[in-house]
Amino acid sequence: MMNVQGKQISIVQYILLIHGVQVGVGVLTLPRDVAEKAGTDGWIGIIIGWFIATITSLIIIQIMKKYPNGTILDLLKHYFGKWAAKVGGGILAVYFGLLALYSFITEAMFIQAWVLPRVSIFLLLILLSIPSYLLVRNNIQIIGRYSVVVFLMTIWILVLYVYSFKEGQILNLLPLLKEGWQPVVKTLKISIIIYVGFDIAFYLYPFLEKKENASIGVVIANTITMIAYLIITLGAFVVFSPDEITKFNEPTITVLKVIELTFIERLEIVVFAFYIFVMSTKVLPLMFVSVFSTSWIFGKVDHSKPLFWFLVISVIYVLLFPPSVRMDLILAKEIHRISYLFSYVFPICLWGYVLIHGLMKRRSLN
Amino acid sequence: MSFFKKDKKELQQQQTDPNENSGPQTELISLDVINNVNEIQNIFSKTPDLVVTNLVIKQTNAKAALVYLGELTDSTVVSEHVLRPLLFHIDDFNEDSTLKVSVTQIKEVNTWSKVTDEILKGKSVLFMDGSQVAFLLDTGKWPERSIEDTPIESSIYGEHIGFTESGSTNIALIRKHIKNQRLKINDYSIGERGKTKVSLLYLDDVANPDLIKELENRLQKVKVDSITNCIILEEYIEDNPYSPFPQLLVTERTDFATLEILAGRIVIVVDGAPNVLVAPSTFFSFFKSIDDYTSRWLVASFIRLLRYIGFFTAIFLPATYIAIIAFHFEVIPLKLLMSIGVSRERVPFPPFIEALIMEIALEMLREAGIRLPAKIGQTIGIVGGIVIGQAAVQAGIVSNIMVIVVAITAVASFIIPNYQMGASIRLIRFPMMIMASLFGFVGLSVGLMTLLIHLIELKSLGVSYTSPVSPLRIQDWKDLFIRFPQWSITKRPVSSLAIQLRRADSIRPKEDKQ
Repeated sequence: MMNVQGKQISIVQYILLIHGVQVGVGVLTLPRDVAEKAGTDGWIGIIIGWFIATITSLIIIQIMKKYPNGTILDLLKHYFGKWAAKVGGGILAVYFGLLALYSFITEAMFIQAWVLPRVSIFLLLILLSIPSYLLVRNNIQIIGRYSVVVFLMTIWILVLYVYSFKEGQILNLLPLLKEGWQPVVKTLKISIIIYVGFDIAFYLYPFLEKKENASIGVVIANTITMIAYLIITLGAFVVFSPDEITKFNEPTITVLKVIELTFIERLEIVVFAFYIFVMSTKVLPLMFVSVFSTSWIFGKVDHSKPLFWFLVISVIYVLLFPPSVRMDLILAKEIHRISYLFSYVFPICLWGYVLIHGLMKRRSLN
Repeated sequence: MSFFKKDKKELQQQQTDPNENSGPQTELISLDVINNVNEIQNIFSKTPDLVVTNLVIKQTNAKAALVYLGELTDSTVVSEHVLRPLLFHIDDFNEDSTLKVSVTQIKEVNTWSKVTDEILKGKSVLFMDGSQVAFLLDTGKWPERSIEDTPIESSIYGEHIGFTESGSTNIALIRKHIKNQRLKINDYSIGERGKTKVSLLYLDDVANPDLIKELENRLQKVKVDSITNCIILEEYIEDNPYSPFPQLLVTERTDFATLEILAGRIVIVVDGAPNVLVAPSTFFSFFKSIDDYTSRWLVASFIRLLRYIGFFTAIFLPATYIAIIAFHFEVIPLKLLMSIGVSRERVPFPPFIEALIMEIALEMLREAGIRLPAKIGQTIGIVGGIVIGQAAVQAGIVSNIMVIVVAITAVASFIIPNYQMGASIRLIRFPMMIMASLFGFVGLSVGLMTLLIHLIELKSLGVSYTSPVSPLRIQDWKDLFIRFPQWSITKRPVSSLAIQLRRADSIRPKEDKQ
């Protein structure tokens, strides 16, 4: 049980929080990642991935309905006891912490690569820590508001991608399914990872004002994410030729080079400055969830101290092990592997357990 | 640290109770006039403007003494309406013991503390031999200014009456617009020595009672010698004292304050301040002006949008200039880059220093313009415009482009209708410039992010500051970036937390649709 008074989030905040966590650093490399597996048919994988992600998110809502007044941590405590919950909470805190840390460092690396090659990642991380601390020390409501404002502030970027269609060749997309379904199925490995973040619903559910909207909200969030991914991927596919696209590291940014305005050259640098906001709506809620779990384990309400230490450790980690692209790739692979487990396998197993538990209980009552 | 602590201890030792000499607090006044006069002269020692007039009341033949502070009372009222009837007049029809004076308000008190307080507020006190009570006669007349046009928030079609320094006049000016018995006034006295009268004005069937209670609590917690201005009071009661943004709106316009009361907000009138506070205020209410409502709605919307553009320009234009010149010169078109290059050719400083020199010069000019008497103020304009602008460019200290940037920034920050908000914006510009000079566009992004986060978590009287954008309330957007026609706005803003959201039915007659 927890006190949610004054911390409730509206349905819009709920939708855009989930959407914000889903769209982050991954979107910059997304067109290349799917094109490597399936060429220009990769966008079909995004739709299938959406389907799988939506089903899993609905399962999460079903689980949370069993214990509507608490987060996943309280639910674990309810079903498995205090100590098991503490261990589980610890594992979740570490998982979300790793996810946040990975996104945080990758964000800094992209910034360094695209805008500020002369500034060290260590310094960038300190810079990014300032707004992170200011926001994440607040409750989930404030973070939700931030996600909504950032969504409204950055929605115009999608319009740019639609605009870039004009410069491209629609023929690049044809023929459909040129090599059959095999390559498309291969992209699923990537395309279900890009939806990771809906599992934050585990934590958002008790704070939602109108809980009957939770299911529809999570579907809308996934759909918004899918539309954004589709626009960006298709934009990149029509602008670049099928072979060319895998040569760019971040085609999502590069594609903007084709847009020429009379008053701005190198539009992609200006857009990238706004991408920092998009990436922050992934990192900051993840960071919140991680430190929230940590303070829950220790039975504290205030989470600003764990947050402070999280940021300090991130900065020290970068100082001791300066990240490189190679290391980032290895890290990404490992993070993805853990993500399959936590975002897809864990909810389904937990749901099975909860269902069986319910059945047993009913039988014993009879 | 220890130094400060020691200081504090000394201060505590020296402090006296400000109300110590106001006489024995609860002690009653004596029956004897002479004793009373002695006591009052004792309390008001070294007070040359204390006037004590001994007299014999003709009606009852009783000895009496009239005591008042000469400069705070209206001498005509005292002589014509108090002394003359008492000394010469005999009422043959009513031979009871009521006081036969013709002043508007007579109060009876019997303790010394009350007597002292009221004398200091301009009342005359009449002690009578054999009477257990003293009579307080309302003869006060404060030195005050007449009602004038608003000097700071000027307007084109709005009314040309501003608040004055008298709290009661200000309340009357608001009542002139709201002739409704639902307009309630809560009075408080704040300040140990000043005893400033602070009044809350609200519509009791519209304003949220929780907000009134919260404001009441905050006012009662204020411990201070004297409140001389609204903005001083604001510092004591606002939610986040460390924020650069004003959290309560200050206005000197009676029509603007009236609109806020009608929207369900609370207006705080401080006696002695020529303006009032509005609570709760949102970020967006600082971008409203009364002329938005007195001009056509399309024009008003256009001007309001200009103000928001001005907000971002004033904060980010110099910083963007620095970021582009120092980091991202590839972003701007080649031709523009060439002309900037030519104009910066002779400038020996990095763009940050160049911008800082100009911005600081501009801020000094602005401040000098306010402090100087109006006649000399014009000289400053000439000095600023010609010397700093033209000569600095010719001397090669700053570039032409920089002068343009600074000029646009200044104009942009001056179109914000609220002076306090404009000043905050001018201040925030400096950290943004530093961020831009260190990290380019990334610094700007992080700066904007920090600004956004601060605004989102800020509250005014417990109501979120950025409402209705965050939390999102689309129904309030009718009077936000675009002002819809007056008759279409039928609801009060949700951000005022009003308990009654529907306004009086504002239906436009439609007979012209034939």
